[in-house]
Amino acid sequence: MHALNPYTGQNFFSFFIVFASRIWLLCTGEIGINDLVSDEIQVFVLSGVAISSSLLGCYLVLRRMTMLANALSHTILLGIVLVYFFSVQGFFGSSEQSHLQLSIQSMLIASLSMGILTTFLTEFLTKSAGLQEDASIGIVFTSLFSLGVILVTLLTRNAHIGTEIVMGNADALRLEDLKLVSAVLVLNVVLIALFYKEYKITTFDSGLSKALGFSPAFFNYLLMTQVSATAIGGFRAVGVLMVLALMTGPSLIARLLTNHLKTMLLFSVGIGVLSAVTGVAFSRHFLSVSGLAFSTGGIVVCVIVVLFIATVLIKRQNKFADRVA
Amino acid sequence: MGEALSHASYPGVILGVLISALLLGNGDLWIWVPIMGMVGAFTTSLLALYCIHYMEKSHRIRPDSAMCFILSAFFGIGITMASRVQFTHTALYQQSVNYLYGQAATMTDIHIVLYGALSVLVITMILLFYKELKAFTFDRDYAKSLGLQVRMLDTIVFILLTLAIVVGIRSVGVVLMSAMLIAPAVAARQYTHRLIYMLLISGLIGVLSGLFGNILSVELTEYLQNLYPKDRLAIPTGPMIVMVATVICIVSLLFAPERGLVVRLARIAYFRYRCLTENVMKSMWRIGKELWFSIDDIARYQMVSSFYLRFIFYRLSKQGWVEKRGDKYRLTIDGIHRSAHIVRLHRLWEVYLADYLGVGAERVHRSAEEMEHIITPELELELTQLLKDPKVDPHRQPIPPSIVEEAEL
Repeated sequence: MHALNPYTGQNFFSFFIVFASRIWLLCTGEIGINDLVSDEIQVFVLSGVAISSSLLGCYLVLRRMTMLANALSHTILLGIVLVYFFSVQGFFGSSEQSHLQLSIQSMLIASLSMGILTTFLTEFLTKSAGLQEDASIGIVFTSLFSLGVILVTLLTRNAHIGTEIVMGNADALRLEDLKLVSAVLVLNVVLIALFYKEYKITTFDSGLSKALGFSPAFFNYLLMTQVSATAIGGFRAVGVLMVLALMTGPSLIARLLTNHLKTMLLFSVGIGVLSAVTGVAFSRHFLSVSGLAFSTGGIVVCVIVVLFIATVLIKRQNKFADRVA
Repeated sequence: MGEALSHASYPGVILGVLISALLLGNGDLWIWVPIMGMVGAFTTSLLALYCIHYMEKSHRIRPDSAMCFILSAFFGIGITMASRVQFTHTALYQQSVNYLYGQAATMTDIHIVLYGALSVLVITMILLFYKELKAFTFDRDYAKSLGLQVRMLDTIVFILLTLAIVVGIRSVGVVLMSAMLIAPAVAARQYTHRLIYMLLISGLIGVLSGLFGNILSVELTEYLQNLYPKDRLAIPTGPMIVMVATVICIVSLLFAPERGLVVRLARIAYFRYRCLTENVMKSMWRIGKELWFSIDDIARYQMVSSFYLRFIFYRLSKQGWVEKRGDKYRLTIDGIHRSAHIVRLHRLWEVYLADYLGVGAERVHRSAEEMEHIITPELELELTQLLKDPKVDPHRQPIPPSIVEEAEL
């Protein structure tokens, strides 16, 4: 397909130089969208996932709903499998191992149905069966997830796909993934910009939002749908579990740095993108310098962890300095 | 919490596997890999626990966010390390992948011995500290006032939890281990109110789901391999075990005696049915004991569909409380007695409310409407004696005599 990947053999710093020059070429139109090489697709996809998830992550952290997001990131597997099963013709006949490619409509259906199903089942168990919330979340998502894993193994007749779903495989990303991720990104950015005020009020004061006439439950379900859409967009790149790291990590770091919602959203997006880009760069660096192939998604998460530790340390230093002064 | 700890054990497993490979080369790998994997899992789980506590304490990060972050971060680190060994030590990579969803088929004797020993250890610890753990679980302050070391108990609980997770991850997998912590306990809670029985039942359910999950996964794998010989399919054990546990859990939630949802709903429905039956009889008694009623006449007093009412009249005539002529109904002698008894209970309760609890006479009716269906014969006797067998209620309506008195007359 490509004559040569220009990133082959580049180390961490020259990666950025090549990347910048390639972006320049892309902007001036010397290379088309179809000429993007795998490193660039990885950068764009991961950044898209990182922006979406860090935006949503802020609200999840502030609303104390991260556990529900955790559940959702698992249950979407079932949604993906079912939608895939119903939408793809000749599923059983094809000998080619599937890559779980999804069209945008089917992805939306899957995320919508799974978002609503998970939230509804959890609330049902909590209210009608009298379980504690964490227990009902735990039961709902583990059972749906194991159903998903069994089905995916049976249907694709590929034992490794289960592993890939959890771990993600950034190297297998293609241009279609980029399209899916950008659709999710646009959806999230538009919805959050459009409902910024509504989300803010429902997050901090659900009583006030009721008095003003928007229903907190509606925005709850909307947010959950967005979360599941993001998880579906991201699972091919980083796997269902590390999407969660992208959601909680940047927003927790941003929360440590500021008390304003807008600043927090900005910081969080910035940190997300930063870790995505440097993650890909590190991955390339290790491959060319030491000849080691790491999971790119894993490296992105590691970068987030390092950033988090650094923030905690700096904050501690500042606190200490304040006390001394 | 189990969720976070089980995910966090993954890097430990990888690390343990790696260290054992680096230290020992390729010699006694099959013995040391499981042991080192376990030690590593234990260590990183505890480390994750410490991190979560630190984040909560020092930075006032909410526990759920802290847990989510730690579990996904640790898992991500684990994945990175796993991908590192993917190409250099393929056999080891296979080993570490087994820990994701669990795979019982590749277990060996060393696993049985190890996990058996650990399980016995966990059970002994629970038995040893049973009383302390009980006090501590239900009432921390009480435990503290007894002079128990609450912090130490906290630590013990978490160590036990971590040990249980370490035992489970080889067969259930890190991703789904938390289900095994929750589902059997939730199911067991449905059957008993006592901690010791809950422990026993929960253990039993755990054993059952482990057993059947394993059998199912092995059988299914064999079946599939016969069906598609070239694909080398293997159904992971973990999801199978979890499915079995969840099915048991859901069945218990729905059908457990006393606490099951369906059972509870049925009980509520039966109570409603009895209330309605008694209300119908009561209204027939009040309008006219000797009169014949069509179903439409009654429907005016009761807010239910005439279809349901028809069913109720069918049941009533079967049981001999009403008699039927054409499409009209009338109370039998037995029916009159029973209706009078219901009215008696109603008015007795009104007297009790007005005289003893000082409730205004105009507000006693609503409560009595409910209590008339609930008061037992013993309670009726008590009320009669307490109120000195009153003859009129607060609204100056006569109270029908009790069945015993009537028999004496």
